[in-house]
Amino acid sequence: MEFLDSLILGFSTAATPTNLLFCLMGALLGTLIGVLPGIGPTATLAILLPITFFLPPLAALIMLAGIFYGAQYGGSTTAILVNLPGEASSVVTAIDGYQMAKQGRAGAALAVAALGSFFAGTVSTLGLAIAGPALATLALSFGPAEYFSLTIFGLLCATVLASGSVIKAIAMICIGLLLGMVGTDVNSGSERLTFGATELFDGVEFVVIAVGLFGIAEIIVNLETPELRGLIAAKISRLWPTRDDFRRAWPAVLRGTGLGTFLGILPGGGATLSAFSAYTLEKKVSRDPRRFGKGAIEGVAGPEAANNAGAQSSFIPLLTLGIPSNAVMAMLLGAMTIHGITPGPAVIQNQPELFWGLVASMWIGNAMLLVINLPLIGLWVRLLTVPYRLLYPAILLFCCVGVYSVSNRAFDVALAVGFGFLGYLFRKAKCEPGPLLLGFVLGPLLETNLRRALLISQGDPSVFIQRPISLALLVAALGLLVLMVVPAVRKTREEAFVDEES
Amino acid sequence: MMAVRSTFGRTGNHPDILAGLVFIVVGALGLWAGRDLRVGAAAMMGPGYLPLIISSLIVFIGLIVTIMGLVRDNERLDVIRLRPLLIILVAVAGFAYAAESLGFILAAIWLIGVGSMADRETRLREVAASIVVLTTFGILVFIVGLGVQMKLGPF
Repeated sequence: MEFLDSLILGFSTAATPTNLLFCLMGALLGTLIGVLPGIGPTATLAILLPITFFLPPLAALIMLAGIFYGAQYGGSTTAILVNLPGEASSVVTAIDGYQMAKQGRAGAALAVAALGSFFAGTVSTLGLAIAGPALATLALSFGPAEYFSLTIFGLLCATVLASGSVIKAIAMICIGLLLGMVGTDVNSGSERLTFGATELFDGVEFVVIAVGLFGIAEIIVNLETPELRGLIAAKISRLWPTRDDFRRAWPAVLRGTGLGTFLGILPGGGATLSAFSAYTLEKKVSRDPRRFGKGAIEGVAGPEAANNAGAQSSFIPLLTLGIPSNAVMAMLLGAMTIHGITPGPAVIQNQPELFWGLVASMWIGNAMLLVINLPLIGLWVRLLTVPYRLLYPAILLFCCVGVYSVSNRAFDVALAVGFGFLGYLFRKAKCEPGPLLLGFVLGPLLETNLRRALLISQGDPSVFIQRPISLALLVAALGLLVLMVVPAVRKTREEAFVDEES
Repeated sequence: MMAVRSTFGRTGNHPDILAGLVFIVVGALGLWAGRDLRVGAAAMMGPGYLPLIISSLIVFIGLIVTIMGLVRDNERLDVIRLRPLLIILVAVAGFAYAAESLGFILAAIWLIGVGSMADRETRLREVAASIVVLTTFGILVFIVGLGVQMKLGPF
């Protein structure tokens, strides 16, 4: 009955008026940025992060989480109606969804996407509630050696499963680690890599890096390319899917949910990978694969369920182990740190209302999104006509004031200009900025545990292979790297991400 | 057109070469900044131990990526447009400068006014409207509502 008690605790915490309000705000904002192309959940979280400093910790996390999974719903709306995926995770939805819309079945596609997402969200939230405490108990027995190996495994896994070159991603992680070392060294008290700037003695602020790399750099890149404007395929007439649609869609939703929940847990997985894999899976199991690309409802149902399931279950490693698996989770870790919470196994034990409140809020948020998205669809579509030139000055203002407000100094804003330029260079060099952020947030954890482990073993590195869990994690990490060298695996991986670039 | 196309060399993967060079510069910067830190040994790591290892690793990967980029198939950089790049960076830098000395109102007017110039299609009337609406919004929400510690005017 402990599980039930925890759930009740969660729902009673999440259902307070303040938390409900912020859950709704998160869901609305998420849908909004999901609908608008050119601004994604990562950038939005970076920009809003400083503002959450003024909120109570749980309300802040609930809102930020809502933005993330809300964006998955919003992104699919535009993918289906105007063939413009608002998010990378809904790129595959556009393939069959837009065809359905052209055939006058937009309503059915939208309804299946929303219902499938809701179902997937419910299942994976439940998964989080069940797996969370178990994983956390396991993680509590971890020593420094295990934690070090776990972090290494997580970081490597994140580079292999994300798109783009692996070696570049490893370099990006290292740059993140290096940035994480700026400031006063905890052990010796000496200043490191500060270039003598007193403003850097406390280290580089997370928000500065996030806003620079994701906010400012993204605005510049968006302004370089002419704006894409899609045309609405047809009027949405009938919203409810036919019986035949349901019959075809529900097995796809089940498969997508399972795949998404599993892939979401892996570091580097999450919404985008889940959606792509689900589409491939649906095509493979279908009796008539030729229907795909011509408006097959399974091609909408599977990926949509998978991306939402993946989005939810990517919270599992963060909340139970303290290891973020992608850039969005790194942002949430940043938000927790701002509020003085150290994410990890201790959170469930010491602050159960925080963990269970967040879990419950995700389910409530998903239910809200169903209401926000289906009846109000026309409103969201109209938002697509707002040109980017009116939006980006507002985003810029949020970026600047947000960065300034973290420690009330202009130095941070100036530093964000530097990171904005660096982020621009990275985009031109085809380097994903996500791994850098992961390295930055995990750097201190990695260094502390490495130092501790080697201090205990008196400098003997074999401590990492003598402990079984640590050994298993390192072998798995090594195996991943070896796999990447195998040409066949590398080719499949490149193919899996080939559409994501667009 | 303020567009710059990469003109160097007909072969080589230009994004990779750029990435490699950025890595080398960042790694070298790390090595240089950490040159005076005590390194120590594995059992008793000094503050400079990990920065040295990580910076060297970044330089090393940078070299590999550059060399691989030189021999790989030709791929050019995406078009680089200087207009949005420079204008946005100048707008934000100006905000940073103005925030402490001139106050929020002037800083916001600068940021939105100059920042809007980054898009070619921007119209004067829209910019004026943006400045008024966003500055008022900023004063009410950020300064009054959330209590961000920034003075409003120069005095």
